[in-house]
Amino acid sequence: MMKHAEKSTWIYLAVAFLLIFIPFMKDDRWFLFLMIQIFVFGIFAMSYDLLLGYTGIVSFGHAMFFGIGAYSVAVFLDLMEASFFGLLVGIIAAVLIGGFIAFLAGILTLRLKSHYYAMLTLALASLFMVVAEKWRSVTRGSDGFTFRIPDFPGILGEYRNITMYMICLLFLVLFFFGLRRLTQSPMGKVLVAIRENDQRVESLGFKIMPYKVIISVVSGVVASFAGVLYAISIRFVDTSVFAIDVTLDALLMTIIGGVGTLVGPIIGAGIIEFAHHYLSGLSDVHWIFERWIILFGIVYILAVIFFPYGIVGTIQKHWVKRKYKKRNEKAPKTDKLAS
Amino acid sequence: MDLFLNLAINGISTGMLIFLIAAGLTLIFGLMDVLNFAHGGLFAWGAYSAVWFYAISDSFIISILGAVLTGLVLGLITEYLIVRPVYGNHIQQILITLGFMLVLTEMLKVVFGPDIKAATTPEYLSGSWFIGDVTIIKYRAFIIAVGLLVFLVMWAILKFTKVGLIVRAGVMNKEMIQALGINIKLVFVGVFMVGSAMAALGGALFAPSSGVVYAEMGLEFGIFAFIVVIIGGMGSFPGSLMAALLVGLSNTFTAYYFPALSMAVTMILMFLVLMFRPQGLFNVSGVANK
Repeated sequence: MMKHAEKSTWIYLAVAFLLIFIPFMKDDRWFLFLMIQIFVFGIFAMSYDLLLGYTGIVSFGHAMFFGIGAYSVAVFLDLMEASFFGLLVGIIAAVLIGGFIAFLAGILTLRLKSHYYAMLTLALASLFMVVAEKWRSVTRGSDGFTFRIPDFPGILGEYRNITMYMICLLFLVLFFFGLRRLTQSPMGKVLVAIRENDQRVESLGFKIMPYKVIISVVSGVVASFAGVLYAISIRFVDTSVFAIDVTLDALLMTIIGGVGTLVGPIIGAGIIEFAHHYLSGLSDVHWIFERWIILFGIVYILAVIFFPYGIVGTIQKHWVKRKYKKRNEKAPKTDKLAS
Repeated sequence: MDLFLNLAINGISTGMLIFLIAAGLTLIFGLMDVLNFAHGGLFAWGAYSAVWFYAISDSFIISILGAVLTGLVLGLITEYLIVRPVYGNHIQQILITLGFMLVLTEMLKVVFGPDIKAATTPEYLSGSWFIGDVTIIKYRAFIIAVGLLVFLVMWAILKFTKVGLIVRAGVMNKEMIQALGINIKLVFVGVFMVGSAMAALGGALFAPSSGVVYAEMGLEFGIFAFIVVIIGGMGSFPGSLMAALLVGLSNTFTAYYFPALSMAVTMILMFLVLMFRPQGLFNVSGVANK
């Protein structure tokens, strides 16, 4: 099995392996925190890309799953006094609720076309935000609450940040390879076909709805898990996890990194989190950096017009073209005959 | 009964405000098939520029005109730079106009400062009339009047004039209209500018009624406008009016009778409409299904 692994798999594994050593070289608390955020949002953006990049549906309510994950784990840890059991229950609850809501929302809304679907998911997400704000006995409204996470045993407890870093990295890698497997499977191919032309897929005898529902459930579950990791990495949760900004972040990460690639969203997450951190830190140098979102919006607009495949997509395209050219140069005559 | 009337008048005036924002979107979204998520940004720019013009000129009429002018200019810029490259591609339209929305919102903070601004109502429109126990706030009545006027004018232009005919035909079949020797690009620029100006007008009228303007209101009301256009059915002018009134009234009444529900009622309304009548209440056949 391993023999047949592609060359790119080894590259990704090598990068992941290198990432393991980063915290030992730069043991800065802020830097570690930034990296953890990148991993968490990388997972989240990957789950968004399953919808946007692979299936071609724009969701404005993806923050809903992120929030469900964050709140499930926070509420259970809060109720159960920072025990591992509470953490486990929280994670299971996050995954189950996230999956169930994604299923319900999917069968209700996926029949609708692009913008209708976008607006409906937006409506659903804001309903969740209202619930989180009004159900004060559990969520404590918009103030949010802090909670404790169970201590890691033994030596891990002393290097809490590094442990957290490793856990998030591990999940990022697991989800990356898992989702990559999914998108390369026959099902993934059907999804891409639906993105390109759903009527043709239908006429080939595929039922579209089950595919769309399945991918939205997978995406919802992964996004909930990202929410779980987010909550336990900052040990605080408030209603802003349901805000549309979270969805927009995922969207921007996916676009800048490259839609329809799974590495793209991770790279996008890295760029955006770094930009966010360092550009807003530059506001002493020039006032425009305090309003870095302007620069960001302009870059984003330019990306949509001139760079629609994102960073990774453009590189991949270039690479495929070159490979194709090479193959053609090798056997030009047979090609001509064949055509 | 008096309470009911008071609430109804408030609801209608809220609905008219929402209609003014949504009307521009109906033009752009419904007729030109462009998903303009930056519409709320144009609305916020209208509100801010109206406050600014009011401060320097001390005249309500000039502030409104200034806002409309801002809307026209911004509409031209938006059409030219942002929307033109992505006609016909919904997903790219959503993405690019969202990016522009970010820029517009942040530019507001750069140009006018990041803090909340107070907006004043002119003297001749402040105060209220009392008819029996019913209180009619003058400014609200004014908004209702302007909303109706805008509706009638736009509806008549679209329905009875040659320009309206060209726009409607251009939406149905671009090539045909071009073949008849009409520069459809120019027509679309015009429609986009008018739509943006209507958003700005909505913002200018909104500012005195809420008393404050803030940069984030763009996104908030942009979403409102989208909901109204979707409920009403895309491209239908009367539909938008009805939907805006429905949203305004249901918001006002739930805010009074079930305050906990008021934040969610609009969303629930849209959800129900989309579930049972996905094409909206008053669909214009053919346009929305493209």
